[in-house]
Amino acid sequence: MSGVLVAALVGAAGADQAALASLLKTLDLRSYTSRTAPPQFSGSTFHARQLAMTEHRGTVIVLNFWASWCLECRAEMRVLERLQREFSSRGLAIIGVNARESKEAVGRYSKELGLTYTLMLDPDGKINALYGVIVLPTTFVVARDGRAVAFAIGPRQWESAPARALIEALLAEPTPGSAAQ
Amino acid sequence: MARKADYKRFEALGVQNLGISANVTFSQQTFAESLKLPFPLLSDFPDRKVMRSYGVLNEKTMAAIRSFFLIDPQGIIRKKWIIKNDETTVVYSDTLLSGIQEAIGKR
Repeated sequence: MSGVLVAALVGAAGADQAALASLLKTLDLRSYTSRTAPPQFSGSTFHARQLAMTEHRGTVIVLNFWASWCLECRAEMRVLERLQREFSSRGLAIIGVNARESKEAVGRYSKELGLTYTLMLDPDGKINALYGVIVLPTTFVVARDGRAVAFAIGPRQWESAPARALIEALLAEPTPGSAAQ
Repeated sequence: MARKADYKRFEALGVQNLGISANVTFSQQTFAESLKLPFPLLSDFPDRKVMRSYGVLNEKTMAAIRSFFLIDPQGIIRKKWIIKNDETTVVYSDTLLSGIQEAIGKR
């Protein structure tokens, strides 16, 4: 079913906006109405690497804000890990931004859940504040061209058919700077 | 949060609530959606002109000192509440509502 939907979504210029809007509505995601750019940030990952969001330009980013005490985050992060493993080779980047916890707490949690995707530390809550996050989980979806596509307050079914169709549609958009597909 | 819960009481007095901060509109959208705010949030970023002109810009943090201004339909400030210990002081809606009633003479 999702293959048929994806085929309908993808055109020469990327995802069909009406179909995209329909998927966002199905997933109860709030879309950005204009070509909104998400705030750029840089910081330290759990593995002590300095990471700037600009490094992921050209990928589809799922930016997930979480904390180890957030029960609803737990199941969602296991799903995001599976999506990362399935789609990263095609240009999907899952980035988890922790909310004001220690590196040790993030390490314990990451090990317990077997997470391999990028986990940003945010001990002072600066990235959380930059994005206006006050509820966990909160998740933002960013397209290859760097535009903010949508956001969700609270958990969502990221492995569902509509979510997969959304990811496929965004992955099918051309990478900026590359020749049109 | 109190302002959200009591929004209709402000409306009943003919008061339109507006929130303003030095945050970017992107973060305000997330914030407003998270709280399901029934009133608009305005961004005074990056210049903080409104905060400066109202005398409530904390130059150290470059954020607003928590404050409330009651502006009448002619654009005149009728009352203001500037919260000095804004980390610890709770400003209840009742405080604002009674101040508004007093200022506009409504019961």
